[in-house]
Amino acid sequence: MAEPILKVENVTKAFGGLVAVCDVSFQVQPGEIVGLIGPNGAGKTTLFNVVSGYYAPTRGKVFFRGEDVSGKPPYALAPRGIGRTFQVVKPFAGLSVLENVVIASFLKHPRRADAEAHAWSVLELTGLADRADAPAASLTLAGRKRLEIGKALALEPVFLLLDEVVAGLNPTEVDRTIELILQLRARGMTILIVEHIMRVIMRISDRLVVLNFGEKIADGPPAEVARTPAVIEAYLGESAA
Amino acid sequence: MRDRRLLGSIVVFAVLLLVPLFVHDTFFLRVASEAIMWIGLAVAFDVLAGYTGYLNFGHSAFFGIGAYTTAILMMRASWPFPLAVVAGGVVAAAGAVLAGLPTLRLRGAYFAIATWALARAIQQAALMMTVTGGPDGMRLTAYLQPRFFYWVLLGVVGATFFLLWFLLERAPFGLKLKAIREDEQGAKALGLNPTHLKVQAFVLSAVPTAVLGGVFAYWVTFIDPDSTLGDLVSDQALVMVVFGGMGTLIGPVVGAVLIFAFKTVFWTYLADYEVLYIIILGAVIALSVVFLPNGVLGKLRRRGAVRRPGTGAPAPAAATAPPAAEAGTAAARKGAT
Repeated sequence: MAEPILKVENVTKAFGGLVAVCDVSFQVQPGEIVGLIGPNGAGKTTLFNVVSGYYAPTRGKVFFRGEDVSGKPPYALAPRGIGRTFQVVKPFAGLSVLENVVIASFLKHPRRADAEAHAWSVLELTGLADRADAPAASLTLAGRKRLEIGKALALEPVFLLLDEVVAGLNPTEVDRTIELILQLRARGMTILIVEHIMRVIMRISDRLVVLNFGEKIADGPPAEVARTPAVIEAYLGESAA
Repeated sequence: MRDRRLLGSIVVFAVLLLVPLFVHDTFFLRVASEAIMWIGLAVAFDVLAGYTGYLNFGHSAFFGIGAYTTAILMMRASWPFPLAVVAGGVVAAAGAVLAGLPTLRLRGAYFAIATWALARAIQQAALMMTVTGGPDGMRLTAYLQPRFFYWVLLGVVGATFFLLWFLLERAPFGLKLKAIREDEQGAKALGLNPTHLKVQAFVLSAVPTAVLGGVFAYWVTFIDPDSTLGDLVSDQALVMVVFGGMGTLIGPVVGAVLIFAFKTVFWTYLADYEVLYIIILGAVIALSVVFLPNGVLGKLRRRGAVRRPGTGAPAPAAATAPPAAEAGTAAARKGAT
């Protein structure tokens, strides 16, 4: 097997006495779409924040393409090829949609003209080109989620972390987003996605990692994971299992 | 559009350069020089306030640091004026890095309070030290050449304005600062190091302020802790920037000219009503915050008189892009070419 693009090794993240993520290990292979699921409060977003550099792990290590990146700040990870979106979207509200994406494009295109050219191509891909001049604050939720993806894509990452980019969208928008994600994978991007909507996660993931109360309880192909007693128990309660 | 506005600025600058050749009235030159100085102070203040989103109530400290460094080096070490002024800028740059690293971690009111307190501490230090002359201040050798100071101030402010125009409106730096202003956490994910950018902005704001302070000291020939390190510089720069329009370069210029003109007219013709000045100024600020949240410039812009800045020439890709769904957007894009 090729070298994993992401290797999470015995990661624990505690906030004071609260252990949000406990001794979790998993790997993501190049070109994979891995879904990270679990009930509310399972530690998915915390784990995301550890992997993307927003939190330093309390214990354990994160390796990206073989390099130990544990505790490195987000702005050091972006140049290494990690792009992420936020569950609570973070548009630069006072700036235009184009400017939002231009700022991300500066990472690979330091000249302003080049960055703008690249930003336009990202806006085309994410279907935001006709809103380029609008203030980001004027976008609908669906638009803001697409802008989140657009900003992450403008970094030209090799590894993309998507945090609930589908939740809150209507069915048509969901399908468009799924299509976009599959298109990105076809271009060779590796994706780790957190999502609550099972219909989506089951359909696009090659593999699922399931968290419950901060611990990993399952790891495998979606169909197999769905049959795992611990997973059914976590989602539906003990009696169902 | 943006280029046309730059062209306008260059024309104004050129005209201002020629003014002393035709106008010999020293009162006028003095007022004009001071107005130009305030333009520089307001523009420098806006680098941090408008572009980066940090209200620096310690702005006056850098003005005073420049004034005192220049005065001390000229009077106590016999440095020539140009070198002493540059040294003031260097000291301010170092001070901005030292002060910025801890204070720029704070946000909003906390940053304002911390910088204000720091400025007060520096003012107290100037009052207590002997090298600064303490409360008696310092007297510099008089150099009574109004034209000289007019040109020096205009040169410094012009250089500051055009450098900032390039860095903030043309180069990526300005957009990066705005990203920090809008969402610091989000900006990190895009590879931006907020601490680096904020300290750079702080230095960029402090250096011209200190240089102007140095020129001011030599020009007025007398400085004391109150006149150069007091709150006036911070407060007035803030008022000018808010009134003119934050987060733009033209806004502070417009604000500085209008506020300074008002002040001059008031002090010239209505000096008996000194108290009224502060009251009117306060009312103007309160009203402009409520009714002109984006300043005078923002008002003009909303009416379509000025186009939104930051819409650069469309990128080459725009030409190959499929026609935009909105006709208005397409027209706007074409209009920017």
